[in-house]
Amino acid sequence: MESRKIYNRIAILRREKSLTRNELADKIGVNFQTIGYLEREEYNPSLDLAFRISEVFELPVGLIFSIEPLTPLSQLLTKK
Amino acid sequence: MEIKKSIKKRRIGIIFNLLSLCSIVLIFEYCKIEQRDSAFIAFEIIPIIIFIVSFIVTFIKTGLWGFIHKPLKKLDEREIALTSKSLRYAYGVFTVVTLIILLFLAVTYTPIDVVLVASLILFAHILPAAIIAWTEKEI
Repeated sequence: MESRKIYNRIAILRREKSLTRNELADKIGVNFQTIGYLEREEYNPSLDLAFRISEVFELPVGLIFSIEPLTPLSQLLTKK
Repeated sequence: MEIKKSIKKRRIGIIFNLLSLCSIVLIFEYCKIEQRDSAFIAFEIIPIIIFIVSFIVTFIKTGLWGFIHKPLKKLDEREIALTSKSLRYAYGVFTVVTLIILLFLAVTYTPIDVVLVASLILFAHILPAAIIAWTEKEI
């Protein structure tokens, strides 16, 4: 079965929290290169990893990951 | 740009490494058939040096050798998936290459010698790391 591409907001959320790739990697227990792969959307995380990421950013998983291209959060807030 | 360059360098390293391994076997076989002992020592040393140098540059210095030999507990889920994929490909490639060599040896009634067996074992051991080096953007 070919897996679908999963889009995410990891890069922007990490920058918002002023975290380096290494710091985020340490917090979720992966190699820093895996963060690069996740941010470039070249790797789909497991459910466990997705939950660990959502715990770090204190946001629901659905707000960080999506199967459709994500619109910026600022745009979502101003949308009527 | 840097990533593309590094992949290119790694691929060149793998080509040199595997070609030198082939050369070791071929020179040995040729010298055995032609019974040239002195030529064997002189020519065999060149591919051995190329093999060692390309192995150090491509696998040791890039950290690939360490990565492929890390215990599973120290790998994250992406790395486990990556090593699993490389082992799967390596198994397929090794099986095909070994079968072709064995078939050739059987057809030509050539006996199998220690150098060939040792090279095949070395090839099997290098292959998973070579596949990662060949396909991955970042190591």
